[in-house]
Amino acid sequence: MHDNVTDQSKDITMLELLDRVLTKGVILSGDIVISVADIDLVYVGVKLLLSSVETMEQLKAGKPIIL
Amino acid sequence: MEKMIYSILSAKRNPEKLNALLVGMKGISDSDLCAVSFDEITAIVSDFKRADLIADRSNAIEYAGVIENLAQQFTVLPMRYGSVMESAELINKMLERNYHEFQQNLQKVENKYEFGLKIFCDSEKLKSELRIKSEADIQTPEKPATGIKNSVYKDYVDKKLKEHRLEELMLTYVDSVIAKITGYLDRLNTINKFKKMASDTNIIDAVFLLDKERKDALIHVTEDLKNQYPVLNFVLTGPWPPYNFVEIAIK
Amino acid sequence: MISDNKILFNSGSLDELSEEIGKLTNNEESRLKLGPDNADSGLAKLVLTLVELIRKLVEKQAMRRVDGGSLSEDEIERLGETLMKLELKMEELKKHFNLSDRDLNINLGPLGNLM
Repeated sequence: MHDNVTDQSKDITMLELLDRVLTKGVILSGDIVISVADIDLVYVGVKLLLSSVETMEQLKAGKPIIL
Repeated sequence: MEKMIYSILSAKRNPEKLNALLVGMKGISDSDLCAVSFDEITAIVSDFKRADLIADRSNAIEYAGVIENLAQQFTVLPMRYGSVMESAELINKMLERNYHEFQQNLQKVENKYEFGLKIFCDSEKLKSELRIKSEADIQTPEKPATGIKNSVYKDYVDKKLKEHRLEELMLTYVDSVIAKITGYLDRLNTINKFKKMASDTNIIDAVFLLDKERKDALIHVTEDLKNQYPVLNFVLTGPWPPYNFVEIAIK
Repeated sequence: MISDNKILFNSGSLDELSEEIGKLTNNEESRLKLGPDNADSGLAKLVLTLVELIRKLVEKQAMRRVDGGSLSEDEIERLGETLMKLELKMEELKKHFNLSDRDLNINLGPLGNLM
């Protein structure tokens, strides 16, 4: 019972930590974090997102996105 | 070789301490940490491979661990996970361009930690309490004397209006809680940030920046708040490096 | 320090809390996933989220006007018709693309949650 509480506390601490390190802190530019093709963390420049039609075509064709 | 940046700090008072610390630490994927400086500002970096960036959350946790260790000995500005630049020279130039902002921010957070307070409540329960309190006040537009029959559209507006008024009541309630918190924190010299209604149950998501030594005082404030609001749940976490208090638009 | 428990005060049960915080954090579901299989619905999600945002803002503003008491019966009626049809249309679109309300709240990284 005690272990369960400690594990949950750790989980919560971990989640709070991840929330901070993934979404806060100093950022180098206005990039958006997007998950692409099951890859967890890829930075795609906002410009790329806005001109995404070409990229969609590439994705559909199964080609990797070129950053 | 691309560099991952962990944080910005000033080691002018104690460069040897920094070097000793870096030697005893590792970055993500067992990389070595080093310092890239411009004048009195230093970026803590490591080499890294693109593949590491797109790995699972354990790398992000390691990265945060580096920041935590640095934060115990220095005043740091934490970078967001994934902060990468192409070379040390470019980092050096970036430090130069943003020198003033970094200095200002380091000064702002010196000797301070961040703490998070999340306040939860059963939204439905609160709403029904508020609804009961205000049922008397809610007036829907009067039916006109000409006897225009009730339309489905008018009913729709009535429904939406009631929802809207209830939301306004919720917000007023949340504002009053925030005012109370701000009042309690007045003497602790904090910087406060509040997010309202982050979710259905998380009515307030707050972060505070305050002197390290005042941690216990903050815990007491939270206990007092719980006594004031027995129906709400309070969760205080910390201390954290100042992730939420470093707003810099990097040039 | 990472492995330290950072919880300084907690007045609720831990179960409730981890469920809460799990919902709040930047988990995989809340990111905009664009892959070869679901590029279409990824885009649909983005578009519908923006439309829903605008619809909510319009609705909110409309209710403020109604509450303010400056609208005629007629105007209220017409407003009701438009808003209702908008909401129904949105429901249709969500069903069509198999998206829930939760799906439409995208985390935009530095820009925070859309709604």
